[in-house]
Amino acid sequence: MTAQTQAPVLSTPESNLFETPAPSTIPAKENRLSDAELRDVYETSRTAREIRDGGWTKVALQFPDGMLVDAPRVFAVLEELLSEQIPKVNSVGVGEGEGVVGLGVNEKEKEKEKEKGARENRVRLYILADTSYGSCCVDEVAAEHVDAEAVVHYGRACLSPTSRLPVVYVFTRRALDIAFVVEGFEESFSGKGEGEGGGKEEKVVVMADLTFQEHVPVLVERLRERGWKGVRGTDVVHDPTASIPNRRIAWRRDGNGEEEEEEGDLKEWSIWHIGSPPAALLLTLSSRIKELLIYPGTTPQSTSTNGNANRNSSTRQEIIRSNTSLQLRRRYALLTRLTTTPIIGILINTLSVANYLSSIDALKALIARKGKKSYTFVVGKVNAAKMANFAEVGGWVVVGCWESSLVESKEFYAPVLTPFELGLALESDGERVWSGEWRGDFGGLDTGTGTGTGIGEKTNGHEGIEEAGLDGEGKDGELGDVGDVEDEDGDSEEESAPPEFDLRTGRYVSNSRPMRTTNPTKNTTSSSTPPPSASTSTSAASQILTRRPKQELASINGAVSPGAEFLRSQRTWTGLGSDFEEIREGGSGGGGGTIEEGRSGVARGYTVGKNGERT
Amino acid sequence: MVKVSATSSICLIRDGLELEPSTASPFGLKQTSAVANTCVPCSFTIQEVRALMDKPTNVRNMSVIAHVDHGKSTLTDSLLAKAGIISAGKAGDARATDTRKDEQERGITIKSTAISLYGHLDSEDDIKDIVGQKTEGNDFLINLIDSPGHVDFSSEVTAALRVTDGALVVVDTIEGVCVQTETVLRQALGERIKPVVVINKVDRALLELQVSKEDLYQTFSRTIESVNVVISTYFDKTLGDVQVYPYNGTVAFGSGLHGWAFTIRQFAMRYAKKFGVDRNKMMERLWGDNYFNPHTKKWTNKGTHEGKQLERAFNQFILDPIFKIFEAIMNFKKDETKTLLEKLSIKLAVEDREKEGKPLLKVVMRTFLPAADALLEMMILHLPSPVTAQKYRAETLYEGPPDDEACIGIRDCDPKAPLMLYVSKMVPTSDKGRFYAFGRVFAGTVRSGLKVRIQGPNYTPGKKEDLFIKAVQRTVLMMGGKVDPIDDVPAGNILGLVGIDQFLLKSGTLTTSDTAHNLKVMKFSVSPVVRRSVEVKNAQDLPKLVEGLKRLSKSDPCVLVLISESGEHVVAGAGELHLEICLKDLEEDHAGVPLRISDPVVQYRETVTAKSSMTALSKSPNKHNRLYMIAEPLDEEVSKEIEAGRISPRDDFKARARILADDFGWDVTDARKIWCFGPDTNGANLLVDQTKAVQYLNEIKDSVVSGFQWASREGPVAEEPMRSCRFNIMDVTLHADAIHRGGGQLIPTARRVLYAAALMAEPGLLEPVFLCEIQVPESAMGGVYGVLSRRRGHVFSEEQRPGTPLFTIKSYLPVLESFGFNADLRSNTSGQAFPQSVFDHYQILPGGSPLDGTSKVGQIVQEMRKRKGIKVEVPGVENYYDKL
Repeated sequence: MTAQTQAPVLSTPESNLFETPAPSTIPAKENRLSDAELRDVYETSRTAREIRDGGWTKVALQFPDGMLVDAPRVFAVLEELLSEQIPKVNSVGVGEGEGVVGLGVNEKEKEKEKEKGARENRVRLYILADTSYGSCCVDEVAAEHVDAEAVVHYGRACLSPTSRLPVVYVFTRRALDIAFVVEGFEESFSGKGEGEGGGKEEKVVVMADLTFQEHVPVLVERLRERGWKGVRGTDVVHDPTASIPNRRIAWRRDGNGEEEEEEGDLKEWSIWHIGSPPAALLLTLSSRIKELLIYPGTTPQSTSTNGNANRNSSTRQEIIRSNTSLQLRRRYALLTRLTTTPIIGILINTLSVANYLSSIDALKALIARKGKKSYTFVVGKVNAAKMANFAEVGGWVVVGCWESSLVESKEFYAPVLTPFELGLALESDGERVWSGEWRGDFGGLDTGTGTGTGIGEKTNGHEGIEEAGLDGEGKDGELGDVGDVEDEDGDSEEESAPPEFDLRTGRYVSNSRPMRTTNPTKNTTSSSTPPPSASTSTSAASQILTRRPKQELASINGAVSPGAEFLRSQRTWTGLGSDFEEIREGGSGGGGGTIEEGRSGVARGYTVGKNGERT
Repeated sequence: MVKVSATSSICLIRDGLELEPSTASPFGLKQTSAVANTCVPCSFTIQEVRALMDKPTNVRNMSVIAHVDHGKSTLTDSLLAKAGIISAGKAGDARATDTRKDEQERGITIKSTAISLYGHLDSEDDIKDIVGQKTEGNDFLINLIDSPGHVDFSSEVTAALRVTDGALVVVDTIEGVCVQTETVLRQALGERIKPVVVINKVDRALLELQVSKEDLYQTFSRTIESVNVVISTYFDKTLGDVQVYPYNGTVAFGSGLHGWAFTIRQFAMRYAKKFGVDRNKMMERLWGDNYFNPHTKKWTNKGTHEGKQLERAFNQFILDPIFKIFEAIMNFKKDETKTLLEKLSIKLAVEDREKEGKPLLKVVMRTFLPAADALLEMMILHLPSPVTAQKYRAETLYEGPPDDEACIGIRDCDPKAPLMLYVSKMVPTSDKGRFYAFGRVFAGTVRSGLKVRIQGPNYTPGKKEDLFIKAVQRTVLMMGGKVDPIDDVPAGNILGLVGIDQFLLKSGTLTTSDTAHNLKVMKFSVSPVVRRSVEVKNAQDLPKLVEGLKRLSKSDPCVLVLISESGEHVVAGAGELHLEICLKDLEEDHAGVPLRISDPVVQYRETVTAKSSMTALSKSPNKHNRLYMIAEPLDEEVSKEIEAGRISPRDDFKARARILADDFGWDVTDARKIWCFGPDTNGANLLVDQTKAVQYLNEIKDSVVSGFQWASREGPVAEEPMRSCRFNIMDVTLHADAIHRGGGQLIPTARRVLYAAALMAEPGLLEPVFLCEIQVPESAMGGVYGVLSRRRGHVFSEEQRPGTPLFTIKSYLPVLESFGFNADLRSNTSGQAFPQSVFDHYQILPGGSPLDGTSKVGQIVQEMRKRKGIKVEVPGVENYYDKL
């Protein structure tokens, strides 16, 4: 089979792919890994063991794009390992093995399965070549196409709880020169309290990108040996809502196994992060901790120029002191742009994160409660072109994993927010507080309860919001105290709702707000005074033909639909023929051609003219 | 010799300020006012004011305008004193129209304040002198607006001028016509507002400068001439010649501080009888080269008699008695004073007789020539009534056709026509966060409960945008700091409205006609070019800040409040002082929470300085559509016309094309194919379609326009708005299937190609520049030049004010460099220089290309990008340009 050199015409070239929000940290390797390295990096033996332990027969292997080159070899190695009849449990023991999620299967069954699997079925492996959304998320949908029973996820992951399949995470470890790191660490903290031994009391939490995670305990140990008493390591947990997402601070003291329970105030701690963290992590942590220092973790030669590269970096290793206040402020600017938009698009950027469906419902309800219109979109991988197709949508909210909800790019025509930010944007101006706290998961929507909250809790949260909303309305009412009186007038034209102050431009804007149901009586009376649109069909007069007024717009609850309103006010193009006028005025036409009578009749035989000549 | 005749006895009425609640009944007034030469402070009920409103011929709406510190509020005081609103003794010091605490403390007016007064002309002769317009009866309603003089608050003046028909221009005798005098005069004439002039602070000339009579006459004459030069520069055919002449009675002379003023007419009345000449003839003789030859007892226009210099009539008959009074009293010549007083039949109150020196002078002059009499007489006689004024103002006030019902209603000042009301500003109420909408009824009658259409500045007839329907809750009469409820207000009057403040940000049109267009949106002479960002010290206070910012935005006609792309709450004002006042209001009043306020910054604009080096091309994401574009600079004149609203997207495209072709040398075909203005659909960037025969082009117009609005709002260099760029669409290739040329493909592509075109057209940064006029004595000029050159200032004119040691230096000063300029100037000239800065234009920021990180401009750009939290390096053209 000859390889195609060029993509087929209608496919999307890969250069157009939007950069995924959580880029792979594995740079393209120039020389391929040796077999030993491969086995080590991809933790093949552990994977094989866990697959066998789980007794799964169909397993999907999900690689991020950068690692797809290694996929066949990993596949081959795994095949080989799995085909060995006897599991060599003891031979594995590499590093700190990552646990299996979703081991819901009970022990007996597992035993059975195992036997079965060993006897009859060879484990079948599948490589998932293209992920629907971010490579950090487990693509359960793609895995389900092959009826996979489990997924092995390679590369860095967002560790969001999945809803359907058990997952084996392989973080694809990367090497780190501990000595260099220790040096860098000491340099960045040595400025403080030098001279006295207490200088090494600095409270630092060492955390690392998942690919470097295995080095953390070693590094912490090394640092303590050198007298840094305040240093703590981190353990990986599957909890994106934790105060440090997906990490738990290892509070244990030197070797005693004695656990320090007090979590303390994270604000006192600095974080020393190995590897470049995703933007969402930076924003999440920025308000929670004292300071975040980033040790890029790349080899010294490759000096990556990060956007927030800082002069403070004193070592050759380019320690970056993260400063997210500017990014946070930009997020604030973005979310305030949404305060007055009537239409919000809900963009689904995951099909696997647990509770995403209920979150979408919650978002819809929230948007509707704020008198705005929402539309739900599933577009696969997010990119500017797809989103700009819906020019009437004033802003987007992304439902995705905690990392991929944050879509930061200047390319988007309308702002793209996380659910947490949307929650803020929809608060009235009189309530919105921007403290610098930020979270990426859609759990943030539900006033701080985790993703695991049930729907019941959600409604509670929303009631709170609604009350607040009503308060705002109440205020309006008492200010413009004629409002109620005027409603009884039953005048031909209703009084308009006041416009809103657009914070971005400093002007008043008024938008159609059909979903606003502040006045419950309106709904009940709507049957007696039907809106002028087509809804009359149900009434007694439905047999009478009603002439549809020209340019009538669809209306909801008597208010014009914002989508229709957009088309009417913002679009000049109204279809073919609408530009004739213009052309003539442009002076080029000079009157069209003369009208000639054409043929008429049925296909059997047309007549031309009045003479009834058949043709 | 001279007796004050009862030219006009003017009673001024208060009603908002309850000083003497048990004053005489309205009917009592008629009796008292019948007594010549007495003017008893008397109370008029609101009913009577209301009754007068029905006679628009007897209404005068006027604003007091002048350069800062020329004495507007002080002069206004004398009118209020006459009305009994403040005591005569306090007049001149109270500045009662400065109702805010900081206005009193700083001694400057910040907000314009309206007050309604009641005037009465006694003599039928006076009524007869009202030429060119009808009058009914002797009673007049004067709606007066005192406006601020500092250039930073010019927008308040604009708002005041819009609702008035006449202007009292106050000019300082010594300083003469200053920059702001000229600015406000120009604004007034632009609104077709008729001016009368009062030359103020004559007492200073006499007391401090000790000028001679002839010198004083020359000063007066020069000042009037400079006023007339300004007036004739902005000559408007419809308004006619509105130059001011003392012998017409359109110029008064006086001292607001001392509470006296006179017009030549007043003196002419007195002398007319004595000389047995017609009053009007007398007026002409009392000004200019007219002499009374005592030897021949004849009037002549030759200045000499048998070789001897004659005394000018003005000096002899008008200045002489005044000089004599000054001399006698200030030199404590008691006997002489007494005889003088008798001669002039000035009767002093018992307690005043004991006074001497300045206090006595004040009392005497105030009794001799009461300022209020002169001013009111001048206003009533020479300023137009709404009926008169709206005839010629209608066409400039109204955006729609001159023959529709709304315009005809305005023209006729018809109280029965559909309502046309312009809200020119918002006045805070005691209820925090609520405002009175302050405006003028141009046609129809507004009453409480009337359901009106509220048309915001962006309303276009037939569309729903910026249109609201709401009932007016209440109508009130604005009385200085207070209000009085009133049931309804007919055409021609000024009022406040309750209950519509939520619908209009700053100004707008109220009407009852479904077809009415807007009354013209006001254009300010100042722009909000100085910005400071604010943030709360305590995050929990953010809602209060946001609410406060909204209120601030409403309370000032000019201030701009927004959130920048980098997430800062920005307050933009006309100048440092303006911002300072706004932010103080914000912190102490509107928001009431502690704030952190950044240093002032300016907003740059991105522009291009040349034509794109090659045609920019961008392909859509699916590679099936291509846009070709070229950027080139737009003529500065065109940009200015657009910003001034004289070329606007709302114009008829043929008319616009004609203007562009005739005045700016555009190709007519191009001019007709302007797709849009941007940013915000009205900015000074143009998108021009120059394609030939492109299929489906109209279909993608909306998408390209969206991309253009987006790109022009955030330029390629530093995400600053673009200005003065013209983008030509050279060619477009589109996919044949509609689905492949949708908005998703074209909006981002349009943005990219615009960026590419701009980056290839030698982009530059524009910085705002103030026109800075500095008045300074010759001795301190060195200091001024020093400060200006340190701050990149550029002097383009230096003139000596005739007859004074003062020079007026006009210079261009970058706004960026103007921060702290006033203080710097003061310390370098020992406080002798007085600068007035007003935004004038944009200029290219010198110092290299913004794309070159090593140049000065490049560094500014990088600094800016860093502050905004975006990548420090400017993305290169290769990010936007696609190869074919």
